[in-house]
This record gives sequence, C-alpha cells and structure tokens, in this order.
Amino acid sequence: MNLMPAQQRSGPVVWSAIIGATCLLLYLMQQVLWLAIPSLFAIILYYILLPPMQRLIRLGIGHNAAALLVGALFLLVVIAGTLTAVFWSPATPTESWQELMVRYLNGGLAFVRATVLSLEQHFPILHDIKLSKMINSRMTAFTETFLQKHLTDILVSIAGWLPSLMLAPFLAFFFLRDGLRFKKFLARAVPNAFFEKTLYLLHEVDQTAHRYFQGLIKLTILDTAVLALGLWAIGVSSPLILGLIAALLAWVPYVGSIVGCVLVVMVASTDAPADPLVAYSAVGVFICVRLLDDFVFMPLTVGRSLHIHPLITVLMIFMGGSVAGVAGLMLVLPLLGVVMVVGETLGRLITNPRLRARHRYAKTLRLRQASADLTL
Amino acid sequence: MIFGFLKTPAMTPRQLRLKDSALFSTLTPLELKIVDGLMHERRYLTEEIIFDEGEEGQALYLVMSGRVLISRSIDSDVEVVAELSAGSFFGDLALLDNSPRNAQARALDNCELAVFFRADFMGLMETDAVIGYKISLCLARHIGWRLREWMTSGRSQIEAL
Repeated sequence: MNLMPAQQRSGPVVWSAIIGATCLLLYLMQQVLWLAIPSLFAIILYYILLPPMQRLIRLGIGHNAAALLVGALFLLVVIAGTLTAVFWSPATPTESWQELMVRYLNGGLAFVRATVLSLEQHFPILHDIKLSKMINSRMTAFTETFLQKHLTDILVSIAGWLPSLMLAPFLAFFFLRDGLRFKKFLARAVPNAFFEKTLYLLHEVDQTAHRYFQGLIKLTILDTAVLALGLWAIGVSSPLILGLIAALLAWVPYVGSIVGCVLVVMVASTDAPADPLVAYSAVGVFICVRLLDDFVFMPLTVGRSLHIHPLITVLMIFMGGSVAGVAGLMLVLPLLGVVMVVGETLGRLITNPRLRARHRYAKTLRLRQASADLTL
Repeated sequence: MIFGFLKTPAMTPRQLRLKDSALFSTLTPLELKIVDGLMHERRYLTEEIIFDEGEEGQALYLVMSGRVLISRSIDSDVEVVAELSAGSFFGDLALLDNSPRNAQARALDNCELAVFFRADFMGLMETDAVIGYKISLCLARHIGWRLREWMTSGRSQIEAL
C-alpha cells in the first residue's frame, strides 16, 4: 500500500514566500555587504577550485592538504599575475594610469561633443534649443567638480573594500576544506523522517549554485572572446582586456552593460579621434554582443541553470535593484535560485502528512524508550 | 601530510565494517576512505520506519549494526520480503534511478545505518570512475544474484528492494 501522497507543484503561497524571502535576504545582505560580496566571489572561486582539489584527493592526498595545495597554487598564480602586470613594461614607454584615464575621458567627451554637433547640423531644431551648448556646460561643470568632489570618496571606498575582498580567498579555502563536513553537520540535525528529502534539498541547492556560477564563468569567457574579436576587427586597441572588463562588468545586470559600453566607446573614440565611425562601430559591436549574450549565450549557460520564468527573472532584477542597489542587481538571481529550491522543497516537506506522521511516531518511540524504566 | 599518497591509509573501525559489506569489498583502503567521507550515519529506534513503500528513493542504506525488516503490502496483507542484519544493504535500486520504493524498511532493533546518497554516487562516477565501476559491478552482481534466487525459489524479492 502506497502511503506517500502524490507530489504537487508549488502554489502561489510558496512562490510568494520565495519572493518575500529573497527580498528579505537581499535587504539583510545589504546591511552586511562587506561579507556578502566576498562570499559571492568565494563561492565562484570554490566552484573553480573544487575539480582540481577532487583530483588531488584521488591521488591520495588528504582532504585538508588538497585544499591547502589548491589554495596555495591559486594564490601563487594571482601573485605571479599581479607582479607581471606591475613590472611588465612594453617596448615603448607609456603614460601613468592617471594620464591614461584622463586621456580616455577626454576622448570620450570629445566624441560626445562631436556627435551632438553633427546631430545639430542634421536637425536644426536641436541647434535652436542650443543642445550642444547645454551639454558642453553640463559636462564641463561635471568634469571640473567631479574629480574634486568625489575622487577622494571613491578612492577611500575602494581602499575600504580591499580588506573585505581579501576575505574571498580565505572563505573559498574554508568552503573547500570544510564544505563536506558542513553538509554532513547540517544533515545530522535533520530528523530521520525528513532525512532523504533534506539530502536531496542540499544537493539541489549545491547543484543550482554550481550550475549558476559555472554558467557565469562560461558566459564571461564567451563574452570576452566575442567582444575581443569584434573590437579587434574594427581596430580598437587592447581588445582582449577591454572585452574581459566589459564581460566582468556584465555580471551586474543592466548597469554593468551600460558602464561596459561607455568604456568601450571611450577607448574607441580616443584611439581614432578623427574617425567617429570607429566609435559607432564599437557601439554596434557592443550591442551585437549584448544581443548574442541575451538570446544565445545566456540561455545556453546561466539561463539553463536556474529554470526560472523570464518574466520573474526580469521583475526580480528590478526588485533586487530597488531593495539593495547595485549589489542587489548582482546577488538577486543566484539568491532567488537557491531560495526557490529551498522554498519548493520545504513546501513539499511541510505539507507531506505521511512524513510528519512518521516524525511524530519516531518522537513517541524516543520518548517511550527514554522513559521505559520511569513508570510510576 | 602532503606525501600521504605514498603510504596506505590505515582503516578506521567504521571503514573496516564497510569493507565487510559485499558492496564495498573490492575497494582499496584509499577508495574506502573516499567513499566513507561521502556516507552519512543515521540511528534508528526499534520499530522506526526508515522509508516507506512508494516514497521516492534517494539513497542506499547499509546496515552497520542491528536488524532491518523489509516488507510490502499486497492488498491488505503485509508480506515480509527480507530480514537484514549487519553487513547487508538495501534500497540499492535507488542508486540507479529515482523510482518509488517497492517496499517499506523498518528497524527491527535499535540500529545504525550508513547512508549512501545517489547524487554522491553519481558524482563519484564522474570524478572517480574506478570507484564508480567497482561499486556498480558489485551492485550488478548483487542484482544478478537476486534474479537467480528469484528464478530458483520463485520468491519475488527481485522487485522488493
């Protein structure tokens, strides 16, 4: 006789709870951003370093030693990369990074001015409302006061973030070393009746996060490659670095893409100040790559991992942005994926009368055994 | 610590008990250590239900101590399929797919079980094909043995686990 009730799909109550819990968690995370952002990077690192660590364990190296080895190797690669970037000098001497930034900023502004003037020539109504004058005065005011007003704040906040970002490799190391132990520790706290389902839940949470972050890494590689190819084809300098920066910025939905596009246009317009076609082509390339990303790469990589309806995805991105700003935009999708798995499974566990009855029965058995020799 | 792969790891009493099981008898001490790291430990009281008939199977159970009764309902009667003691394992079909359990498992004594979760087994097949094939071979032998038992005795244990 089958005593287990048939499984039902989650209803509106469970889904409302999932969305509510995601927003609440985002709000709480916003209060501890110094921990949430490094944890996010640590999880990404964890999923990158886990396969080599498993290989080492198979070679006979202990669990702790394998985590230590993989972590040390990663640290060495990072240090080697940083030293190469700092001490590598190209054949021709170049300007400092501040001069480089100012040059690209001026190049971008010159491009905007030239575009507005050209628009005024084609559309006299824009000339009549003195669009170029207005934009010029605003840009001048912005660039003159921006550096004085905000540069110190930006530098201080970057310096403030550095120590907490240094947490990421430490967290990743402990995830690698103690992840399995933590999973077992959590499973030990679960009553026998719910044990198998909880194991499945933990596995699904792990798989969802794994698929999401692995998808994100694949997406970044694809975006970098395609954007670099496009920028190289139109003759923009350092296409690979630009492509990588734009792909990393795209981790933050919408805002990241806009910043990435601005960056690409600034570089393209500085490289060819006399030829605005290069900058327009760069915008074209960027839009093509974004479209490819949204409609081909993302469904193939990240989209497949979460199995969330596109409408809910878009709505949750907006909600994430309004609840926790840029960090919310970045965190909302992986968080929603995990909360969705937990919520759906908990919904099934709580509403399963047979499992609850078994748990009550086990509790009665425990009580009876504990009080066997205590009869009055 | 780093050169641990040069020596054969010593087996814990729990790993020795795992080695006694037909499922893991072909594993080397190192392989057994890896599998042991993936297994969960559960304790059940006399009469406590381990899993129900019709429940979606997610794991294989190995009896470390105590006895377990496997039974199933036919119409309104309960048919005892098997009584398992330490070293035996049950729920093995759950390692192959997530089809519903064909029988109920209930603790006959206070017992200690080691639980091997299907997803961990599948992960092991991908990351460590040698352990995966050894366990799969033992599992196939066990199912084959049950098939032969069923053909000679006519008892329908084949479907029950």
